[in-house]
Amino acid sequence: MTLIVAVDRLRLVTTDLDQLLRQVARQDVDAFATFYDQTRARVFGLVTRVLRDPGYSEETTQDIYLQVWRTADAYNPAAGSPLSWLMTLAHRRAVDRVRSEQAASQRESRYGAANVETPSDQVADSVLLSDERRQVTDCLDSLTDTQREAIQLAYYDGLTYVQVSERLSANLATIKSRMRDAIRGLRRCLGVA
Amino acid sequence: MTQPTDDLTALATPYALHAMPEAERTDIERRLADAPPEVARAFDDEVRAVRETMAVISAATAVEPPYELRDRIFADITAAPVVPLRRKPRPWRATILAAAAAVVIGLGALGVGLALRPAPTVSTPEQIFAAPDVRTVSGDIPGGGTATVVFSREKDAGVLVMNNVTPPEAGTVYQMWLINDDGPHSAGTMDAQAVAPSTTAVLPDLDGSSTLAFTIEPPGGSQQPTTEPFAALSLT
Repeated sequence: MTLIVAVDRLRLVTTDLDQLLRQVARQDVDAFATFYDQTRARVFGLVTRVLRDPGYSEETTQDIYLQVWRTADAYNPAAGSPLSWLMTLAHRRAVDRVRSEQAASQRESRYGAANVETPSDQVADSVLLSDERRQVTDCLDSLTDTQREAIQLAYYDGLTYVQVSERLSANLATIKSRMRDAIRGLRRCLGVA
Repeated sequence: MTQPTDDLTALATPYALHAMPEAERTDIERRLADAPPEVARAFDDEVRAVRETMAVISAATAVEPPYELRDRIFADITAAPVVPLRRKPRPWRATILAAAAAVVIGLGALGVGLALRPAPTVSTPEQIFAAPDVRTVSGDIPGGGTATVVFSREKDAGVLVMNNVTPPEAGTVYQMWLINDDGPHSAGTMDAQAVAPSTTAVLPDLDGSSTLAFTIEPPGGSQQPTTEPFAALSLT
């Protein structure tokens, strides 16, 4: 029985997505379909986590993939993996949407700071992704509560680091180092280069 | 406005997480352009590390979008007049199967999509992945390569993926057998041409089988195994 660990698989995914993105840049619809299928759950899941509204999330996901179709030729492998290019683009769109709707102040956090996990009945229906999800969740659990809270507020709730510091009544330097330490902890745990 | 560069570096993480207003983002980008190269490089390295990390973390929040979203997105892109299409798209249904299989094998293969059974229903892999009792078993094939089965008892079906398996010798085929209490039942054959760097097959009817075994058989396959299995996967 062999289980591919998340980071090894990411390397494989990267090779494949890299190739697909090059084809998408040449407006290859088949390649785009495969790219969509391999990434849709990650993108839609992240957007949903940030926006917390099914309608907005679907519209934003649609916008993201249209942007992928139009700007795939702007992807630069030297700047990072294709998945990080995509997830960065997706997160940016989601956060922009939250801020433009000015929803951040109205919406209430349905999940506690320590709960970055998705309810299990909604998770992506890919078995290998769910293996990876378990590993990633373990790494999130390995953070301190304050680190996890900083990531939750800044990344998933779309707050600025200044808003995070106000929310937590902590000074800016503390918040910035908490965020940095959280990422370092995750990197170490996941073995991300 | 002049600020110390260590302050700039400390902003790399919030910058990468989009945790700042647009104006501050623009300001940082302007300051980076004027910063010493080593400062800009350290900033970029940190941003990249944050983004790669969060890309991996996205597995934690993955949720399948509604299927209709796919139609809307493809309506968008086929309407977007950018560059003339180089070729006609294949029907989507064929693509879905290939993509679903690609997820199973960890996406490392070069060519995917040879379904051995005649026209398996496209939704089978998706149904399997969605099943609450979905499981994966995997093993090395003696002589090279690996076989992986993703299956669900509830759906009574599985998907077999073979990677880098040495093709059968001329004049023989590999035959797959699902073995239950009644004995082995053929689950299809693959010849040398079928065994590409990556080969996928839908196993539509598990019927309580506890094992998937592989034998070498004459072309066209046999009613019952005529050789000892050279590989077997326990479906537990």
